[in-house]
Amino acid sequence: MRVPLSWLGDYVDVDLTPEALADRLTLLGMEVQGIERRGIDWQRVVVGELLTVEPHPGSDHLLVTTVRTGPAEPVLTVLTGASNVAAGQRVPVAVPGAVLPGGRRIEVTRMAGRESQGMLCSGDELGLTTDADGILILPPDAPVGVAMADLFGDVVLDVDVKPNRGDALSLIGLAREVAAATGARVRWPEIALEETGPAVESRVAVEVLDERLCPRFVARLVDGVTVGPSSLRVQARLTAAGVRPVSNVVDASNYVMLELGKPTHTFDAAGIAGGRIVVRPARTGERLETLDHVVRDLTPETLLIADPAGPLSIAGVMGGASSEVGMATRTVVIESAVFDPVAIRRAAHHYALRSEASLRFEKGQETRLARIGADRVAQLVAAWAGGSVAPGRVDTAPAEPEPARLPFRPSRVSGLLGTTIRVDAIRDLLARVDVRTEPARPGDVVPVATGFPGVPLDGAAAAEALVAIVPTHRRDMEIEADVTEEVARVLGYDRVPGRLPETPMPEYRPDPRRTVDDVRDALAGRGLDEVVTHALVGPLDHERIGIAGDDPATIRVTNPLSAEHSQLRRSLLPGLVRVLVENERQRRVDLSLFEIGHVHDLVDGVPVERAVLGILLAGDQAGVAWNQAARPADLWEVRGLVTALCARLGALRPTAARPGTVASYEHPGRTATLLVAGPDGGVDAVLGRVFQPHPAYLEAAEVRSTHVAVALLDLDVLQAAIPAVRRYVPFPRVPAVERDLAIVVGDGTAAGEVERVVRDAAAPLLRTLRLFDVYAGAPLAPGERSLAFRLTLQSPERTLTDEEIDATVGRVVDALRTRLGAHIRA
Amino acid sequence: MDLDTLSARLSALEQSGLGAIRAAGDPDALDAVHVAYLGRRGELKTLLGGIGALPGPDRPKVGAIGNAVREALEAALEARRRELGAAALDARLAREAVDVTLPGRPVRRGSLHPLIETNREIARIFGQFGFVVYEGPEVETDVRNFQALNIPPDHPARDLWDTLYTDVPGYLLRTHTSPGQIHVMQRAAPPIRALLPGRCFRYEAVDASHGFEFFQVEGLMVDEGTTMADLRGLLDAFAQAMFGRGRPTRFRPGYYPFTEPSVAFDVQCVVCDGRGCASCKRTGWMTILGAGMVHPVVLRNGGLDPERYQGFAFGLGTDRIAILRYGIDDIRMFLENDLRFLEQF
Ligand SMILES: [Zn+2]
Repeated sequence: MRVPLSWLGDYVDVDLTPEALADRLTLLGMEVQGIERRGIDWQRVVVGELLTVEPHPGSDHLLVTTVRTGPAEPVLTVLTGASNVAAGQRVPVAVPGAVLPGGRRIEVTRMAGRESQGMLCSGDELGLTTDADGILILPPDAPVGVAMADLFGDVVLDVDVKPNRGDALSLIGLAREVAAATGARVRWPEIALEETGPAVESRVAVEVLDERLCPRFVARLVDGVTVGPSSLRVQARLTAAGVRPVSNVVDASNYVMLELGKPTHTFDAAGIAGGRIVVRPARTGERLETLDHVVRDLTPETLLIADPAGPLSIAGVMGGASSEVGMATRTVVIESAVFDPVAIRRAAHHYALRSEASLRFEKGQETRLARIGADRVAQLVAAWAGGSVAPGRVDTAPAEPEPARLPFRPSRVSGLLGTTIRVDAIRDLLARVDVRTEPARPGDVVPVATGFPGVPLDGAAAAEALVAIVPTHRRDMEIEADVTEEVARVLGYDRVPGRLPETPMPEYRPDPRRTVDDVRDALAGRGLDEVVTHALVGPLDHERIGIAGDDPATIRVTNPLSAEHSQLRRSLLPGLVRVLVENERQRRVDLSLFEIGHVHDLVDGVPVERAVLGILLAGDQAGVAWNQAARPADLWEVRGLVTALCARLGALRPTAARPGTVASYEHPGRTATLLVAGPDGGVDAVLGRVFQPHPAYLEAAEVRSTHVAVALLDLDVLQAAIPAVRRYVPFPRVPAVERDLAIVVGDGTAAGEVERVVRDAAAPLLRTLRLFDVYAGAPLAPGERSLAFRLTLQSPERTLTDEEIDATVGRVVDALRTRLGAHIRA
Repeated sequence: MDLDTLSARLSALEQSGLGAIRAAGDPDALDAVHVAYLGRRGELKTLLGGIGALPGPDRPKVGAIGNAVREALEAALEARRRELGAAALDARLAREAVDVTLPGRPVRRGSLHPLIETNREIARIFGQFGFVVYEGPEVETDVRNFQALNIPPDHPARDLWDTLYTDVPGYLLRTHTSPGQIHVMQRAAPPIRALLPGRCFRYEAVDASHGFEFFQVEGLMVDEGTTMADLRGLLDAFAQAMFGRGRPTRFRPGYYPFTEPSVAFDVQCVVCDGRGCASCKRTGWMTILGAGMVHPVVLRNGGLDPERYQGFAFGLGTDRIAILRYGIDDIRMFLENDLRFLEQF
């Protein structure tokens, strides 16, 4: 809410600098987010009197004026393109050397052969009003030569009024807050009406079909108005407050909205058929041309102000064109109603017509303001546009609620804040926000939680309890804790002392981030850079990894900021590749990255999140230097990294297998599935994949590097493979024996299979197994290759005999032959 | 041969041997000298072989002289051997000398992302006060993200969170980590001291201080008698730990539908030390989190009796803390992952 301080001063005296006032309001919960000094950028703009106004002889759209800007000042000749000026008027003049908002400098210029010694300003050029069409005509008594900033400058506070405090979305509401902070008194505007002519009931009738949607509707009528612009003072106030001046009648309505927080609407009575207003939901098929000249199809949830002929306006949201107040309007009907906040909020959202009015309606309205607002608008319309106010009001629900009683326990106020506040201090603090207090009575019920049964007070408890008498504008005070908040904010939160808790500690709980952090530390320790990429990716990212735009397992955002971030990622790969591409554009082509993040799938209609570790290596992994050769990223690099990571974490060594199927983004010959033994030593779990991306994928993703390797691992599987406790295994003190076997297999036999067979057959004496050479070529037959393994055999207890060693090797050789058709190279 | 002749010859032998030792230029030459003079068929042995021709009383004298010659030669051999060894080592060291100012072999340094590290630091600090970590989902239900937190459908306070909705009915992208309060209260009984770090989403145009994805850490403490003073004390301790001892802090009123009373927690601007600058909009203060006493309705929705239990919750913006901690001026850096940025952490 924008608060011009000159306007606020109508309702409360402020003896503070704007900064000090802003600070006090902020500490009271009305956060001031900005202080704008209007007029500070009107440098050397003064009031001038037009002495002469004549056509420019060399131009058909320019006027030549002479302007007096003070008794001692030379008369200036100023050219203008505006046509609304006449001799004798007073206007703002930017004299040579002036600077206008936006830094625009005014100098002596020549236009169509004549010199112009300055510029006459429009209201828009000064930011004073929104009128850009003509020169701003000042009141006839504006003192010539005085700086415009001294006359119309103002300080505007931008106050962030929280959604629960709709009552403070008004000057009077903020005046109440100022009063609470400073102890000053609030001055309500004096509302006095001169009523003449036939009673309003004879001119207007109102029928409300559903009182839940419109609990109160007050109407007044002003006859014989002359519609025109408001006074400059009113226009300046509205503009400073951020509302566009329209006409004296509409401005009166908006003025009261800002002054009292009461949105009202003014109709041209000629547009209301028979003077009969009906408040009802829209009917299917009904349409309305709204004030913005858009014809809207109305939905049956929309609450309408209608007449027997059809819709007049969307209640609380926007008026209709057919009953709009215009220059020809003679009679004005004022609507000042209370609507259901939810209905207004929904309608405003539905028609995308959120306005100052709908914002106030959806926060709820004080019932009595319907009456007061109608009176105040009628008063201002009569004052500004002439005419006479018809006697009386049409009022569908004249009864106005009493202030609510809110029983509370002062001990709970102190107990929640953690500091003792005396009962009389609590009563004084509440009084400053117009909350009176009185003793509670046995049987009073303390509302603890909205929507749940309260706590009844017995005699003893009632003796210590109080009842807060909540003024009707404070719709936010409902429960005991709300009273505590009022006490605390008026007292000042800095009175709440800080101390460390003395209450019991919670039970021990294992840190779910422990494994994640261990992985991060291990990978960063190995030289990888951690990245965080967007969880929201685009359809193109998914299509490139083979997930169609309409894939049923993809979760989509229905209101994305952009298509590029409209789907929840199914894989970390697109994000990692994007990081690669972006850095390649910065000529950083050697990368080793990892990310730990969630991927999302829709499974049986329910969103499922999986934690995934993604590793991406690209370019040189060694760091080429004067003493070191490059080592381009490849499958083995990332495989080795994952193996080391698993070992570091204490997990079992993952085994690699050829994948059953290969994804479109994976190199069909350079992709492995990694398996780890299940948590109970049972079935292997799939840890994930290591692969080199398919060249076509890299090209489509605009990756330049041809050396890229990726690991995508399921973090939950990894975590499950890590033992809770590491057990020390005594290492044998007896010598180990090494045996090398060059195993010849067909090309189609994977090294992983060979390794598995060797491990099975050599157990339990096998301690380590290392593949140290792979060879193909003569003297091997075509289609054959030799895998040379070194087996380290050892018994925990004793030195192995030659017979035991030979038996183990023999078992291995037999198993290789029978299971894989392999033979041993001599 | 008489005694004098033999003595003279032994003396001559010693002199020639010492000369040969001095002349030996390397260990092999020295060995040859050793063999030639002191070997089994060496000159000393040969000379002393003539001892039998001497009269009995002269023999021990000759023996003594011979021993002295041997010892002198052996000592000289040993000394020369050490000399040669030292010289050889010096020569090797000289050969091995390199330009020590050449750079070391490259080893990648690695880095940890500042957002995640900030989350870890936050958890470390609150961990000292008994707070344990929980996790909640990024795709949340409308019920937990809003309704259970005292924000019914069509509540005007929903404007505080510009929400990204999903095509899964009833689910949205969590706008804050606060639904974690419900998760924790439903899973754990008081005393509760919980932290919930996580990624959040909002419909927000991206600029230097806003993004549609950001990180938060939710804190929740509930027990009988947990007070706002406890909240203030813990937040002060946190501010000291994160921004240094003695940095002033303040509470001011805030508004959240799920806390009552609600506060904003400010620390003195770390850029200008309270004098007022552009970073703090000339206020001298920076808001680092919102907090408050858990709303009784939220306690109820978490299955706790608000007559018995009370507590506080706070929501820290990880991005904001990280910006202040590292002096970063644009939060877009966090998700851009430019190596020139990452390498600084
Ligand atoms: Zn500052």
